[in-house]
Amino acid sequence: MSTSTKKEAARQRIAAKRAAEAAARAAEQRRRRTVVGGVVAAVVVVVAVVVAIVVQTGRTSTAADAASPGNLSAGGNGYTFSVGTGPVTVDVYEDFQCPNCKAFEDAAGSTLEQLQQSGAVTIVYHGMAFLDSSRNDDYSTRALNAAAVVASDAGTAAYQQFHDLLYANQPDEQTGSGLTDDQLVSYAEQAGATGEDVATDIRDLVYGDWVKDATDQASKDGVTGTPTVFVDGTQLSDLSADGLRTAVEDAAG
Amino acid sequence: MRSDEVRPWLATAARLLLGGVLVVAGALKFPDPAAAVRAVRAYQLLPEPLVAPVAFGLPAVEVVVGLALLAGVLVRAAAVATAVLMVVFLVGIVSAWARGLQIDCGCFGGGGQVAAGETRYLSETLRDTALLLVALALARWPHSRLALASRLEPATP
Repeated sequence: MSTSTKKEAARQRIAAKRAAEAAARAAEQRRRRTVVGGVVAAVVVVVAVVVAIVVQTGRTSTAADAASPGNLSAGGNGYTFSVGTGPVTVDVYEDFQCPNCKAFEDAAGSTLEQLQQSGAVTIVYHGMAFLDSSRNDDYSTRALNAAAVVASDAGTAAYQQFHDLLYANQPDEQTGSGLTDDQLVSYAEQAGATGEDVATDIRDLVYGDWVKDATDQASKDGVTGTPTVFVDGTQLSDLSADGLRTAVEDAAG
Repeated sequence: MRSDEVRPWLATAARLLLGGVLVVAGALKFPDPAAAVRAVRAYQLLPEPLVAPVAFGLPAVEVVVGLALLAGVLVRAAAVATAVLMVVFLVGIVSAWARGLQIDCGCFGGGGQVAAGETRYLSETLRDTALLLVALALARWPHSRLALASRLEPATP
């Protein structure tokens, strides 16, 4: 082998080695970039999640000593009002802004109250407020707060009467702007809540936090939509007057 | 146009689709945190202590992953994360369907119960399956146009 050929071979070896080294360096750089990028991404995700949890927890928390209305169901969960003493319990989950609840009240509300008056059922009202909007000026919350004020001031029969008045005069969910506080105060008076603090308590949302907790409690009960009706613990699927009457008769045995 | 010229633009379209859907879906869950909690609880899958953290944290993940896709940063990782999110959502929806729950998926805020016959499980499942397939394709071919970090992405053969 000639000297020049040996030199040529050596040069090629060196060039190949350098190319391999450069490739390794580039690979190492890519690897480092990937690691840095991955770490940065993980940190960004963790920070975003933690911030979201902290902020949203703050927005949903209610005062531990939130004001509770009087005349709540004895032995209940603290968020219900009971009317009647009948052996069959009818739990009604409703939102005062919910059009399907109005449909249920129009169809079966009077039947339910007759069953209660005849001593067949106890009605347990579970108020919920999840249809607040800027358009209706948070009507769901204002209405349930007002109903709690009425029950607190004048008892659960007055709650029932106020409840019926609000469904009879329900503003449209899509186009309505909710009843005003003045209207709520006037219906409260009609229902018999005439205490001197009634108007103030309605306007000041004195049970605002209780309303939030009541809505959360209903969700924990497995109820996420309205109206939901349970007859002695069994969910009523036929929400007509006949469906209700049949279910109550079956439950009474 | 040749396929190797079209493919990066398809990847860009996939990024914008997935990123847009995730950012919108995540952002819509922020205004009403109490409703987000109720929507997650309605699936009846998580123990109560986990409900609120998931309701608040998951939208944040959606927004971050969505923004990464829109900007074109860490596209492959974001596409894989999107696929994982879609699998999680599909598990939730299909299990609710199988258990006969009457709920809205809450995918774009809201959520909770709907009247019988008003559930949209089939369309929700088809939509998330389609998005899952797009995300998997993007994870396989993440090289795209108009990506902020396109120089950092290793060229895909």
